[in-house]
Amino acid sequence: MTKVRCRGPWASVLRLLIFSVALALALTGPWWTAMAAAQAGGCPDAIRVGLVFPMTGREGRPGTYQVEGIKLAMEQINANGGVNVKACGKRLPFKEILYDDQSDQGRSVQLTERTMSSDDVVAVIGGYSTVLGEAESVVADRYQVPWITPGAAASAIFTQGRQWVFGTLTPVDVLGYTTMKFLGSLVDQGKLEKGVKIALVVENTDHGKDYVEGVTRWIKEHPGSFTVTFNESFQLGGTDFSGLLQRVKAANADILLSDAHLQDYITMHRQYTQMGLSHRMVSYGARGPEEPARKALGRAADYIFAGTWWEKGLPYKQVSAFVQAYKKKYDRDPDSFYPATAYDSVRVLAAAVEAAGSLDRTAVRDALRKGRLTDSLLPGQVLEFQKNGQVMAPFVIVQNKPGDKVDFVYPEDTKTGEVVTKIPR
Amino acid sequence: MGLADLLNLLASAVLLAGIYTAMSIGMTVIYGVMKMVNLAHAGFMMLGAYFAYEVSQRTPIHPLLAAVLAAPLFFLLGVAVYWSMLRRVPVADEPTLPSLLLLFGLWLVLQNIGYAIWGADDRSILTPLTMATFRFGAITIPIIRLIVFGIALLSLVSLHVFLTRTWFGRAVRALTQNREAGQLAGIDTRRMAMLAFGLGIAFTGLAGALLATLYSFTPDFGGSFMLRAFVIIVLGGLESFSGVAIGAIIVALIETFSILVVPASYQLAISFILLVVALLVLPGGIEGLLQRRRLLQ
Amino acid sequence: MNAIASPCSATNRLPAGVAALTLMALLLVPHVGLPGNVIRLLLVTLLWVATSLAWNLLGGVAGQVSFGFAVFYGLGAYAAAFAINGGIHPYVAFAVGGLVATLGSILIGIPTFRLRGPYFAIATIGVNEAVRIVMSNLEITGGASGYRLLMTGRFSQGEHYYTALGMATLAFLASWYVMRSPFGLALRAIREDQDAAADLGVHPFRCKLTVHALSACLTGMAGGAFARYVAYIHPDGVFSFATSISILLMSVIGGLGTLPGPVIGAVVYSIVQEEMAVNFPQFHLLLYGALLILIVLFEPGGLVGLAKRIARGVRGRLTGGPGEPTAARVPLPKVES
Repeated sequence: MTKVRCRGPWASVLRLLIFSVALALALTGPWWTAMAAAQAGGCPDAIRVGLVFPMTGREGRPGTYQVEGIKLAMEQINANGGVNVKACGKRLPFKEILYDDQSDQGRSVQLTERTMSSDDVVAVIGGYSTVLGEAESVVADRYQVPWITPGAAASAIFTQGRQWVFGTLTPVDVLGYTTMKFLGSLVDQGKLEKGVKIALVVENTDHGKDYVEGVTRWIKEHPGSFTVTFNESFQLGGTDFSGLLQRVKAANADILLSDAHLQDYITMHRQYTQMGLSHRMVSYGARGPEEPARKALGRAADYIFAGTWWEKGLPYKQVSAFVQAYKKKYDRDPDSFYPATAYDSVRVLAAAVEAAGSLDRTAVRDALRKGRLTDSLLPGQVLEFQKNGQVMAPFVIVQNKPGDKVDFVYPEDTKTGEVVTKIPR
Repeated sequence: MGLADLLNLLASAVLLAGIYTAMSIGMTVIYGVMKMVNLAHAGFMMLGAYFAYEVSQRTPIHPLLAAVLAAPLFFLLGVAVYWSMLRRVPVADEPTLPSLLLLFGLWLVLQNIGYAIWGADDRSILTPLTMATFRFGAITIPIIRLIVFGIALLSLVSLHVFLTRTWFGRAVRALTQNREAGQLAGIDTRRMAMLAFGLGIAFTGLAGALLATLYSFTPDFGGSFMLRAFVIIVLGGLESFSGVAIGAIIVALIETFSILVVPASYQLAISFILLVVALLVLPGGIEGLLQRRRLLQ
Repeated sequence: MNAIASPCSATNRLPAGVAALTLMALLLVPHVGLPGNVIRLLLVTLLWVATSLAWNLLGGVAGQVSFGFAVFYGLGAYAAAFAINGGIHPYVAFAVGGLVATLGSILIGIPTFRLRGPYFAIATIGVNEAVRIVMSNLEITGGASGYRLLMTGRFSQGEHYYTALGMATLAFLASWYVMRSPFGLALRAIREDQDAAADLGVHPFRCKLTVHALSACLTGMAGGAFARYVAYIHPDGVFSFATSISILLMSVIGGLGTLPGPVIGAVVYSIVQEEMAVNFPQFHLLLYGALLILIVLFEPGGLVGLAKRIARGVRGRLTGGPGEPTAARVPLPKVES
């Protein structure tokens, strides 16, 4: 082919390039002004906090609730004048910068990086659910911005030697362990016989794996008390659990311990009930008393017990105050633990900023490490981070009772009712 | 596992096939006539689910009845969507990327509408029927799944009747087999496409409403069902209407009984591997195989 | 000379000058003091540019529209991550990622390329999903816990940026070369009419496998770079159906089968989508969906098609006449081979 000089038409491509550059500039315009504004002047007019949560997509519901908890906390703190920042000589309000990562891990990382590098934030709160949390946690150390997660509990996030990550959820394996401790206590009280058989049916995620790890660890430490006769995991989003449930039936266990997301909990338990399965005690991990589940399962949800990070019936003054304020603002009860751990993450951040006396990220991080909230919503009422950044608050075990009631059954000091160890048929 | 357990599994599989059939009919109708893969299928199912929810919450109408009512309403919705957007997309004998892009965009829009109206909360529909079961000796059959199966069967039968006994139906079949010949025979392809799309969306809305009685849902609902529907319609033969049932029963049987040999977490992978194998071994789907045999006779 | 081979046809019109200018500008980015966030956005965009160009070779030029291309992105990501954790140097690890993806492409291509049209597309979905589920269960790669990369050394955003730029440039050069070469001609022939092409002496199966391998290799390497950057990968992220659709969309938005098309599409996908999500958190899905719908309704040739139309219109007015006959609109990108 001879080389032919092409005339003219490259104008179209040039036009196209200009168009794309113009488009990009136009759309990124808001940044440039924000950057300029942020760099002007010493003390900002608000304490900026980045929020990266799933508001849509698979984890949209819990993510939305966590953001609601955060907004409530910020509103209350701002209504009281804000946080006292000594270096600025005045009280500053919180200002949240919210990003929806659409439950997508890639977007979660991108948005966390974005907020940490260009929004001039003092800290970032985010990462609902383990996968998104794991992804985001990488970014915290990279940009050296404190990152608090009220929704990711996998211990893997906190055992990587990271210096800037904090979590207000106790590790999930402790949930499994506590569940067994609770069942063990029932054996000690004579409410369950020794050697009772357990079937484990967990979701195929880090959450499920950690749960099983905690359960088996306790059983190993206490040989002879329980036997596991079935242990399988399932993929999220199942449409039909009949096969799995048939095998559970064949395993002839006394107690069913499952760990699942809300949708699978509902689907599985509906089929469980339809198939006529029965166990003495049934648990779905941290799921149990949620309102959508109650609505979906009706009476079938009665007597299910759950180990949870927080439940709205906890007998603390600050908890009832929180529940009331939440109800007033959002016109419904707080769902599961989501808003509570998020609410406290803001409070502990506020305390850290005040203790640090400035908005310097390192100072705030150091203050978070030493911080201790003594009127926390969490069970035990104390929120403090361990060395690795994760809290270690106790779990509570609750059991659904007929009539939409929920009883606390463990530990002893939160008990509001007796546990039922044999679900009536 | 005893005989009773296996029979129960079989019953579950058959009922599951009903669910799968219901959710795949709509896609088959649209593909058959318009050669478009409806990527907005999940969005319309989601709307169907919320429709059933709203109707059953606000009126004394039972959700299953609401599902049946959804069909004509979604027919109109489908026609409206076609008229406003799809008719501008040129038709071809194979799926075109513009149509895929359009329908995907439509799915995103529908999701956003869902979030805007209903938020991200999980909804579900609980009726006295939901947990009720019918005992037949050692076999337990959940009544609600039986009803869903029945409605799916009815849809398939009515579709069959429509396709064989009415003029419109025969025109649909003609266009499915050979668009040009159909045009030559005097069929207005545009109008048929509009009606077919409406019909497809009607079935999809119905399916979504039916599924709402079984599962909990959010505006995100339908994605995983849509992928399974792909598997089913391909197995059945992309343009075959009765093939849908065949594809559905195969997928349901394999998914349910695979639990006996593989861990539960691999169940879903089985369907997709099955899909690939089937495509290689039976390019026309099961229906293609049957047709070839018929031709050879 | 047939029109496709003409140096003045669509894909050959892009002068080296413009491409070189862009490359120079991009090379200077980390040194002109742009905010770290802009570099991050460009970095991610460049990785998408690489992936999109790679897919375009298979889907746009050769006409084999794969709906499951994320499988190669994910395979590359995991292979590279595995290699890096095993002590192999990152750049070598990227090559390992590309290699594993290439091997995968051959394994996948041999059975699936026997299929035509929509069947091929659906088969690719099946493969993608099957691999995703298997990877979610495989303990050795972390399964559903995801896979963490052990990070050694300080994080240098500049280095990651240049890696991404290198990948994008490589993909661009590969695309340019293929599109101008006889191989590219063969691919286009296969796209237009596979049987006729075979009659004319082209080997469709071999050509399809080759371009598939090339595309998979480039995508796998981009996946590897992505894995190293984010330091944590999960099957539901890198193998997701949403990722596959996005890769496909980028080329279609920009202009399927063209050279600048995938680049533009990747820019739109990365930057525009993020800006929409950030500025309109309640409505970004609706806006992005509406954008896609509008592009289809008014310019199925993507943004490049739009540009060409504008150019034709302008040229027509400049020369005082209709100029080029306003031929049929941009040829429909077909799914079939």
